[in-house]
Amino acid sequence: MSLEAPPRPDQGLFPTDQEYDSLLGRRNRKAQFFKVFCLLMLTIAVVALATLLYTIVNDSFGLVAVVNQNDPDDVVASLGHDPETTTLNDLSYDELVGLLEANVSSGVGRRLERDQRFYEDRLVFESDEVWDEICSSNEPPAGCTRGPRNTADVFSLVQERVIVPDVIASYPLAQSIVNPEAFEQEVAAGFEAGRFGDYTADQASIEWRAWFNTTFLLAPASATPEIAGIRTAILGSVWLVVITVIFAVPVGVGAAIYLVEFAKPSRFNDFVQTNINNLAGVPSIIYGMLGLAILVRVLEPFTSGAIFTTGPAPSDNGRTVLSAGITLGLLTLPVVIISSQEALKAVPDSLRQAGLALGATRWQTVRSQILPVAMPGVLTGTILAVARAVGETAPLILVGAASFITADPTGPFSKFTALPIQIFQWTSFPQEEFRNIAAAASIALLILLLVLNAFAVILRNRYSRRIP
Amino acid sequence: MTETTTEEIVTQSSDTEPALEQTPDDRQRVDDDVPNVIRTRAMNVFYGDFRAVADVSLGFATNQISALIGPSGCGKSTVLRSLNRMNDLIIGARTEGEVHYHGENIYADGIDPVRVRRTIGMVFQKPNPFPKSIHENIAWGAKVNGFKGSKLEMEDLVEQALRSAALWDEVKDKLGESGYSLSGGQQQRLCIARAIATKPDVILMDEPCSALDPIATLRIEELMLELKREYSIIIVTHNMQQAARVSDKTAFFNVKLSEEGMRTGHMVEYSPTEKLFTSPRETETEDYITGRFG
Repeated sequence: MSLEAPPRPDQGLFPTDQEYDSLLGRRNRKAQFFKVFCLLMLTIAVVALATLLYTIVNDSFGLVAVVNQNDPDDVVASLGHDPETTTLNDLSYDELVGLLEANVSSGVGRRLERDQRFYEDRLVFESDEVWDEICSSNEPPAGCTRGPRNTADVFSLVQERVIVPDVIASYPLAQSIVNPEAFEQEVAAGFEAGRFGDYTADQASIEWRAWFNTTFLLAPASATPEIAGIRTAILGSVWLVVITVIFAVPVGVGAAIYLVEFAKPSRFNDFVQTNINNLAGVPSIIYGMLGLAILVRVLEPFTSGAIFTTGPAPSDNGRTVLSAGITLGLLTLPVVIISSQEALKAVPDSLRQAGLALGATRWQTVRSQILPVAMPGVLTGTILAVARAVGETAPLILVGAASFITADPTGPFSKFTALPIQIFQWTSFPQEEFRNIAAAASIALLILLLVLNAFAVILRNRYSRRIP
Repeated sequence: MTETTTEEIVTQSSDTEPALEQTPDDRQRVDDDVPNVIRTRAMNVFYGDFRAVADVSLGFATNQISALIGPSGCGKSTVLRSLNRMNDLIIGARTEGEVHYHGENIYADGIDPVRVRRTIGMVFQKPNPFPKSIHENIAWGAKVNGFKGSKLEMEDLVEQALRSAALWDEVKDKLGESGYSLSGGQQQRLCIARAIATKPDVILMDEPCSALDPIATLRIEELMLELKREYSIIIVTHNMQQAARVSDKTAFFNVKLSEEGMRTGHMVEYSPTEKLFTSPRETETEDYITGRFG
């Protein structure tokens, strides 16, 4: 196809029609090449992401060989139920407590009771006299004030203390699907070689296990991977998000509004701007140092809650969820400021002029006209920054996230752990099963991030106002 | 593959009146004897399901200025953008019917839109220079289209384009400065210079003066009259005086409520400008040009 134009006198310097044909061919081939090239780059990115997901999911599900110290069926039968129809899940609260009473040493039982009692009106392991004595001591245990345990809690105690399941071998998801027989052979060979200690082959059962399940999400941390959960870590992460947002959004958006809408160009403002940009690149561990030095140590009366009460401080030191939240807030602050500035700068000047020309003050214009338009950008930037911070580990380690904690955080002055900390800890343990629950916890962390990002998208669409 | 036909031997043709005005019913008929550089046949443009313009059959004469006028939303800009396949860039946009450039359908299979746009250039409503130097703004179009000349010849080309756009005297000492350092009117002339530096055949102008002051508008209009000796120009304008001042022929578009309740544009009348503004054939046209338009 030629689409010939009539010859023009001055076309000598431009390609002739034939030349143009081949030139256009070359240009189109080049365009095609770069299109394919960019597609290839996209493919690499997608493959990388898919591999990441694969590794996590692969470890979170799969076949396991389990040996139970006590067979659940036997346990159920010992209470007079028919194991064919009744499972451990169907037992009543009283029966579960009874199982604990029958199977747990009195020392462990007393410890459990001091942590949280089983009944409001009576004690199971402790005697009334001793209980009154320890509760009137200087440092009464938590069980003196907390309400009684619930069924799910006691059920997991029975699992942990009575059934005592022990996963002796596990297999990743892909191999479990492709070649389940190999796992059985492997386990059988392991028994022959005596690798599983005192256990015998007939004690072990091979079953499917989703390491990522509701029990895992709802159970507190534990030293045994089979019953460990991430409730504490999830709640810790949620508290962190809340405190980070409460701290970073007003400060960050306020600073951005000042810099974009009010500040006059000056040396000082340039200096501030440059430093904010540089702060965005400071490694997170340095924010952790800051949090440790200032929030945990210098501001300890504030971060431990001591100045808010006349009695004993809610926390005996500054290593609280408040310190960590503010540290993460400081970490996200530069990004929040920069993205809010960009969102504000993207609002056309004509809107500012229109507002000011009506006799509105600068703040009125910003509040009613500029901010609503900039809001989607501000929110997106903020939430993405916060999502980034949720995955941070280094500053939390410095600020003092607890490595092992089973009590849920109840307020800003609680001790806490967080999902990335939990993952980090578990991956450093030698037992293989901890790697499985670390992978399962990664799924939980990814889902948390996904929820945050979805939230960003929803807010953006909701607040979006089209500007022609 | 297209051999030169008699149609392509171009003569000034404002006196060769097309047989458009035989009867009112013939008003959309296009006479094949007139040397038209672009001719549309039963062109319909859709945005998704919405029909923006219906059944446009128009011939644009070589080396003339043709104007498209009409109220907002009548589809005149849509028609203009269809003439060099700029509508292809809008997702969901679809052009039916035919648009012939020197007898060849630019919507035919195998026609590269890049080639179409190289021959049929465009100037937009808002001046949109590249954020580069004035020199680069003009040289880039020639470069991507395989300009063969030396550096010196490129400088000549830039000068020639700027002179043609009546901008040379104002910018000759600051060719290295950003295109944005110019005033609005100058930026628009820079965009015109940029368009003609690639040596197109037709220049489409989409309300090129609507963002400009009267002096700058006047300069662009003079420029158009200058340019039509070498180029065929098709202009969309809101300004009827402008159409009256510069164009040789004018097409009046109007909006009509379709049966489905959609506001579809269509062509009402296409006549030599003088005739359209003094003795329009359609009352719709008369209402519009006399300001009685609702």
